[in-house]
Amino acid sequence: MRIEKCFFCSVSIYPGHGSAFVRNDSKVFRFCTSKCHKNFKMKRNPRKVRWTKAFRKAAGKEMTVDSTIDFEKRRNIPVRYDRELIQTTIKAMKRVGEIKKRREHAFWKNRMTIAKDKQRADRTKKLEAAKSSMMLIEPESRENGRVRIREKIKVAKARSALVQGEDRSMGMDLD
Amino acid sequence: MGRLRRSRAHHARRDIHRAARTRARPARDLDQIQLIDLEPEKRSTLEAQPLNHELPGLGQHYCVECARYMETDAALQTHWKSKVHKRRCKQLREPAYTIEESERAAGLGREERRPTVRPAPEMERGTEMAVVP
Repeated sequence: MRIEKCFFCSVSIYPGHGSAFVRNDSKVFRFCTSKCHKNFKMKRNPRKVRWTKAFRKAAGKEMTVDSTIDFEKRRNIPVRYDRELIQTTIKAMKRVGEIKKRREHAFWKNRMTIAKDKQRADRTKKLEAAKSSMMLIEPESRENGRVRIREKIKVAKARSALVQGEDRSMGMDLD
Repeated sequence: MGRLRRSRAHHARRDIHRAARTRARPARDLDQIQLIDLEPEKRSTLEAQPLNHELPGLGQHYCVECARYMETDAALQTHWKSKVHKRRCKQLREPAYTIEESERAAGLGREERRPTVRPAPEMERGTEMAVVP
């Protein structure tokens, strides 16, 4: 039994899952889902697709150089079963996993602080730029400019025939 | 009068299905071209191929970068000046994505070379796994 990795997104593929494409030079491309398969057929480069592991590694969003990563390897050497060895290996795997998790968290935290500083600097820069641009615009003065004076004009009220009274109304009653 | 035969009415759909097959791919992928075909020796063999009656232009005018056979030398010359060819060259300049890289991205490395002599492999492995930084 072997747990393979998806060619496109590098997710683990367990037996009985996913699909494989064998190219005519006998290279085997494995895909976890039809989504990854379709993206491969579209000839997309996984390094440029943001949701893939390859992108995250290439863009510096995840640890690439660390001693905890070096443990998982494809060793094409058969190892004779040894109870003691398996026990120590499993113990070591758990411990390595813990350390890796902690280091990944530290890496993420460091990345976020750097990003936050950058964002803050960018914001202050933008604010200052806005302020300086505001200074350049001269406010409109009322004294020297033409000021519109709005005069009030009286308009005679139009009398409506529908308004009752003054002998002009039209009643509905018969004489 | 009955209905006339109407098979093959949806051939467009058939073509779409065929084009969507994974195996419906051009002759060479980018990684094959970059890692194999662009090697100077391989390149010279590809550019000087024997006469083949089944290939366009008898297989005499081949563009290695685009993996395409041209009909004439003039066509090849204009192809080299074309946008398609230049775009392809640009794509080939950056390193190709391979299966090894996908595994490395997943955190699965490869043993660089097989040790020729293995003195007591069980002991060596045990210590290796026990040492944790």
